[in-house]
Amino acid sequence: MRHLIIIFISLTLITSCVDSLDDYNIDQKRPSTAPAETFLTASVKLLSDLIATPNVNVNNFRLYAQQWATTTYLQEPRYDLTSRIIPQNIWQTLYKDVIADLREARRLTDEDDLIAEGDKAAMIAQLEVIEVYTWFVLVTTFGDAPYSQAMDYRNPVPVYDNDETIYADILVRLDDAIASLASGGDGFDHADVMYDGDLDQWIKFANSLKLKLGMLLADVDKAKAKQIVEAAAANVFTSNDDNARFPYLSSPPNNNPLSANLNPAFSSRQDYVVASTITDKMNALNDPRRPFYFTTVNGEYKGGNYGFANAYGDFSHTSNKTIAADFEALFLDYSEVEFLLAEAVERGFAVGGTAEEHYNKAIEASIVYWGGTVADATTYRNQASVKYTSAAGTYKEKIGLQKWIALYNRGIDAWTEWRRLDYPVLLPPSGGNVPVGLTIPVRIIYPINEQTLNGINRQAAADGMGGDLATSKLFWDVN
Amino acid sequence: MKKILLLLLVTILSIPVLAQETNVSGKVTDEADGAPLPGVNVVVKGTTNGTVTDSNGKYSLTVPSSSNTLVFSFIGLVTQEVEVGGRQVIDVPMKADITQLNEVVVTALGIERKRNELPYAAQQVTGDQITTTRNANFVNALSGKVAGVDIKTNNNLGGSTNVVIRGYKSITGNNQALFVIDGVPVSNANTNSIQQRNGGTGVDYGNAAADINPDNIASLNVLKGAAATALYGSRAANGVIMITTKKGKKDAFSVVVNSGVTVGVIDKTTYAKYQREYGAGYNPGFYSGDLGSGVAPVVQFDADASFGTQFDPNLMVYHWDALDPFSPNYQQMKPWVGAKNDPSEFYEQAVTSNQNITLMGGTDKTVFKLAYTRVDDKGVLPNSKLEKDLINFSASYDISNRLTVGASANYSRITGVGRYGTGYNGNNPNQQFRQWWQVNTDIKEQKDAYFRNQLNISWNWPDLTGVGPPIYSDNPYWTRYKNYANDSRDHYFGYATMTYKITDWMEAIGRIAFDATTDFQEERVAVGSSGVRFGIDPSVAPISVPSFYSRYNQSYSETNYDLLLNFNKKISENFNLTGLLGTNVRRTRLSSMKAATNGGLVIPELYSLSNSVSPLQAPLESYVRVGVDGIFANANLGYKEMLFLDLSARQDKSTTLPEGNNSYFYFSTSGGFVFSKLISASWLTFGKARVNYAEVGNDPVPLSLYDVYDKPTAFGSVAMFSLPNTKNNPDLVAERTKSLEAGIEAEFFEGRLGFDFTWYQSNSFDQAIPVNLTSATGYVARFVNSGEVENKGIEISAFATPIESENFSWTLGLAFTRNRNTVVSLYSDAVTNVQLSDVINPLQGSVTTNAAVGHPYGVLKGTNFVYTDGQRTVNSQGRYIATASSAEIIGNPNPDWLGGITNTFNYKNVKLNFLIDIRHGGDIFSLDQWYGEGTGLYPNTAGLNELGVPKRAPVAEGGGVILPGVKQDGTPNDIRASNQDGNGTVFGYPNSPPRAWYVYDGSYIKLREVALTYSLPSAWIENLRPLKGIDISLVGRNLWIIDKNMQYSDPEETLSSGNSTNGYQSGAYPAIKTYGFNVKFNL
Repeated sequence: MRHLIIIFISLTLITSCVDSLDDYNIDQKRPSTAPAETFLTASVKLLSDLIATPNVNVNNFRLYAQQWATTTYLQEPRYDLTSRIIPQNIWQTLYKDVIADLREARRLTDEDDLIAEGDKAAMIAQLEVIEVYTWFVLVTTFGDAPYSQAMDYRNPVPVYDNDETIYADILVRLDDAIASLASGGDGFDHADVMYDGDLDQWIKFANSLKLKLGMLLADVDKAKAKQIVEAAAANVFTSNDDNARFPYLSSPPNNNPLSANLNPAFSSRQDYVVASTITDKMNALNDPRRPFYFTTVNGEYKGGNYGFANAYGDFSHTSNKTIAADFEALFLDYSEVEFLLAEAVERGFAVGGTAEEHYNKAIEASIVYWGGTVADATTYRNQASVKYTSAAGTYKEKIGLQKWIALYNRGIDAWTEWRRLDYPVLLPPSGGNVPVGLTIPVRIIYPINEQTLNGINRQAAADGMGGDLATSKLFWDVN
Repeated sequence: MKKILLLLLVTILSIPVLAQETNVSGKVTDEADGAPLPGVNVVVKGTTNGTVTDSNGKYSLTVPSSSNTLVFSFIGLVTQEVEVGGRQVIDVPMKADITQLNEVVVTALGIERKRNELPYAAQQVTGDQITTTRNANFVNALSGKVAGVDIKTNNNLGGSTNVVIRGYKSITGNNQALFVIDGVPVSNANTNSIQQRNGGTGVDYGNAAADINPDNIASLNVLKGAAATALYGSRAANGVIMITTKKGKKDAFSVVVNSGVTVGVIDKTTYAKYQREYGAGYNPGFYSGDLGSGVAPVVQFDADASFGTQFDPNLMVYHWDALDPFSPNYQQMKPWVGAKNDPSEFYEQAVTSNQNITLMGGTDKTVFKLAYTRVDDKGVLPNSKLEKDLINFSASYDISNRLTVGASANYSRITGVGRYGTGYNGNNPNQQFRQWWQVNTDIKEQKDAYFRNQLNISWNWPDLTGVGPPIYSDNPYWTRYKNYANDSRDHYFGYATMTYKITDWMEAIGRIAFDATTDFQEERVAVGSSGVRFGIDPSVAPISVPSFYSRYNQSYSETNYDLLLNFNKKISENFNLTGLLGTNVRRTRLSSMKAATNGGLVIPELYSLSNSVSPLQAPLESYVRVGVDGIFANANLGYKEMLFLDLSARQDKSTTLPEGNNSYFYFSTSGGFVFSKLISASWLTFGKARVNYAEVGNDPVPLSLYDVYDKPTAFGSVAMFSLPNTKNNPDLVAERTKSLEAGIEAEFFEGRLGFDFTWYQSNSFDQAIPVNLTSATGYVARFVNSGEVENKGIEISAFATPIESENFSWTLGLAFTRNRNTVVSLYSDAVTNVQLSDVINPLQGSVTTNAAVGHPYGVLKGTNFVYTDGQRTVNSQGRYIATASSAEIIGNPNPDWLGGITNTFNYKNVKLNFLIDIRHGGDIFSLDQWYGEGTGLYPNTAGLNELGVPKRAPVAEGGGVILPGVKQDGTPNDIRASNQDGNGTVFGYPNSPPRAWYVYDGSYIKLREVALTYSLPSAWIENLRPLKGIDISLVGRNLWIIDKNMQYSDPEETLSSGNSTNGYQSGAYPAIKTYGFNVKFNL
């Protein structure tokens, strides 16, 4: 009998006991350490994807800016923000995919004793510039948002900070970053797919971003805007070579999201045509960028009726250039900078040059960037309807229109500039079966799941702006 | 049941025969069928002298002259006392004890207990009750039969079944019951992807418990509460379904052959009904073109809606087939009329063949069983089939009087082709049929178009050129024949065991149990399809791909090493002690890999990873191991078979907890009082009251302690790493469920009437789960020990035999379940809601499922109606106004109660059995109605309004719809809302009405099972030796939905088993009515 009990006991002791299995809780397939720089690449890629994608679940800003119209489904051009989880997708990408990875890169860089202090400062400055850019997108999209208590998993219900407060803080951070970039250390290089570690370019990018941030305040706090813009103006982009761009590759998943959604090699869907709002304007101005922007129908550039159904075959689509798999995406470009400078001159800021010079450079930069020639640009801007001195309207109208054209395919920026400059005049769809009283969103409502995940703080923020509505204007949008 | 009991006694008892004076012999038979009964105790009254009957039911013993009475007894049979009266041959027919209260039930760890000793709720179901209607998935056959168990079956071929006992306890963890077969825990996990479970692309591959052969089940016992399952430890916190398989009998041999075929057809009351007045388009109108017979109107092929022009048989138009060069209608016009065959004609007849042979027998020292079952299941969708081969072997051998060894080996192979695509997914044909369809499309013409050349010629041409893949919807036959999934699962489970009788009151059992599955799944989308959204990484939202191939390999194994010391000791005249001491060592291992092509397929119809257009992305790998060591003890003290006290305790140590803090202890204490021992009333046959309290601990899921990174595909040569979506937590502690249960069971009038009533409450604390977070924290979820969920409820099972005569009897069984579930608190006072539906792969339609403090588990949230004086409010256009907030509670998916009523009528050799299954309450959001009404498919979107004017006519002409409700000023609504076109409609998604409008009551009353069985009279069988019996049955399942409130769907339909999508339907499959017959031969 004793033998048998020994057999039984040994049956259960064949395996080792739990305390010796300490590697069971270690994931054998995923790393617990990784180089800091890899998080920079990941966050920049995801930020670019958000800005570039035309996916109806994420980025409908090409619609709000009326550069595009839809063929069949009219919820998004009619500003329905709840049928799909559009706000959540933007919010989640910015916080969780972009800022979280930037913070992780920063933590790992900070903790790495092998990096020289000067290099560390430069690396962190690169991360800061991208983070400031991200906060800029977030705050100009939603308004108040978790900031001071954000990015802390131990606090599941972070309060929403006032957007003006956040904005002031990111300006300070941007200045600090600019100082660090210029202090002589080496930054991230191989992982920096934008500038390959060229910190001079980063300094230009950071200053151009600062120029953009400063101009946003021009209507609400002119003195502050003036100070920021003047401080930045000397070090901004000076050619298209300086552009902050994301270089997509030809194969998934690193192809341009435009191609993933619109290129027949990847999708059979036919959801978009370009809107007549933009084709009519560009046709009237004989714009040389049309062949680079649009396809033709019977040799013409013909846009669909914004906010209504449009037969795909009857209207121009976005060009093959834009749906190429490796078409690059832009974070900030030279043309945009020159438009900002033109505006700065008009507002009386000391940035050098005349408004017309900057305006002309901006248009030329855009035309050349898209594939036109300097001669095309000259011809174009010499038309009375384009020429700065003869074109109709105030500086806001003139710059607003040309900037809107130049910001083709850059929906978020086109929408923000439209909100800021209030030109060109865009009208929401109306009549027919359109619900009454549509207005173009001037902000994006908070994600639906903020109601289920951080309800009280979201409610407080909503109450503070007179309701969580797409019609609640943000602090800088006073006109 | 009886036979098992016999077997047990044969193996356990060996009472010595003592030589005495008078010799008496005879045969003990079953009164019902005259069969010999082995193992019956025969004792000389007032002595310990006795014997047991042999395998032929024969006995012989000597009776002392001082005694004159023999007592024949056996558990499950009515004990008889027979006067010897000088006789030397005494044959005794014995009768079944219907009360069954003395039956032996199998409890945790395979321990057998007499039912009257049990101080907790357990409900036994016999194998016959499970196999009545020949359902190949025995889990489905439990529906309506067991109180306290909520079974939800979807209508997929071999789809997964949700089995929840006494309510949802874990907020985001596992809530499924544990299956244990002969002491071997068997996985009931499904391998469904998170996208599939949240209504995205995928296939429901079913759950592994469905691999169990129903014909191999002798009995099944449901252990519901923590007290019953505490010995199993943590993993049994959700209740246990204990399965005892059939075993051979000593000195006997029998063969049973079952052969059955059932056919199934869809229940059209659970499918879409279409309006038949308006055809393709979001707006009335046609394209214009010359498709071969002159310029004429052309159907709006690209519009996946039916808000177009009114049908007019005199209007000749080009339909989609005018662009199909192989169609007889090529370049031809046809009248503008509705389809003759709507999508319900897409569904075929299902055929299931179920063949089983079981051989059982034994010698005086051995028993064995060998069974083989083959199931061929052809589904209702074209090109769908499931094949199952199930092989079961078990044997035991008595090496000596004290030592017995036994082993069991089971192998199941399940292969599936064309399991149904689920959810919002182009590979689910219901996405087009229920949501995005043109009612002018004739499904039979689509069938012909596909079969002429196996081409993807769909109604949904992108334009008038007839070139290119469909814009949204593939030809549904193309989908089924080209874009199908296939899979196989090899499932091995078994045990080896040794039992040693140390003394007559103590035995030691050693057991190694093993359960392993190997899964292989392939999914594909052919070149030429419209493409689907697909991605292998659940942390990244899927993207559009034109074609793909993916494969998934998983191997899983679990090994349990048990050592038990069992004792059963009569301490004194009045006290009896049974109990056990034991250890359990459990090791599980799961290894899986999923890989897919990238950017499409190069060579059409070649499904291999190397056929990828772009370089492959890294496959998704996982390797997960768990080790748990447990020690446990249990004691049951009985006093005069009247009072019972049961104590058990267990300590577990788990690798999924942080080292140094990885053990946790829990216990249960229970008392039973057989009060009928004190009340001598002829009407009371048996009565017992019981109460128990138990705590059960549970460990977290593995790999939830330490942080790791995600590795996205590199950007060219630049590596990328990223933080994961979920933040792990190195400080997790074991979670705990505390439960209190009280019950009373009684039988009256010699077992003609009886009931079992149980009240319970269980509170689960410190659940170690991932909770969704606002992404402003930098994560979308975090592992925490969270909050408290309370379940309380009552369970009633009852039976009655209102009529019992020689030739006719009628018995009634009832099962009633009522569970109330509340989320008491969450992981922080500031947190009042945890979203259950995934945030990366959210439910379409912008509804969420949630655990909200103070509310039942799983509540649906979304926009609600704005109510004015309790009335739904409309806006100035006559449309319902939705609340600004999407956090309004708009539905509770939990049923108010469940009920099942079984009726059995016996008349001579004929037995009629039927089960009515009731679910009351439980809300469901229907994405099908949300989209389908918006696209004008359903009858309510067409027809005439109360003025007799078409609803689709302009409001100015008297058309439109007046929705019931009030205007914003509170006066009754008299605004006629426009319903002219697909973007201006008042119905469905286009103008974002309240989501609450598309929440339906999921109640139903179903005639679940009907079986009519005829046993051929034994006189006929005499001539057919060696046959001992033939039973012929006509069976039916789900024949009639007696009542339901959800108009076009089966309220039972779900995407998958699991937590997140209860109360949500998308692309729902119709219910299947099955009819068939079965012949059972006993040899």
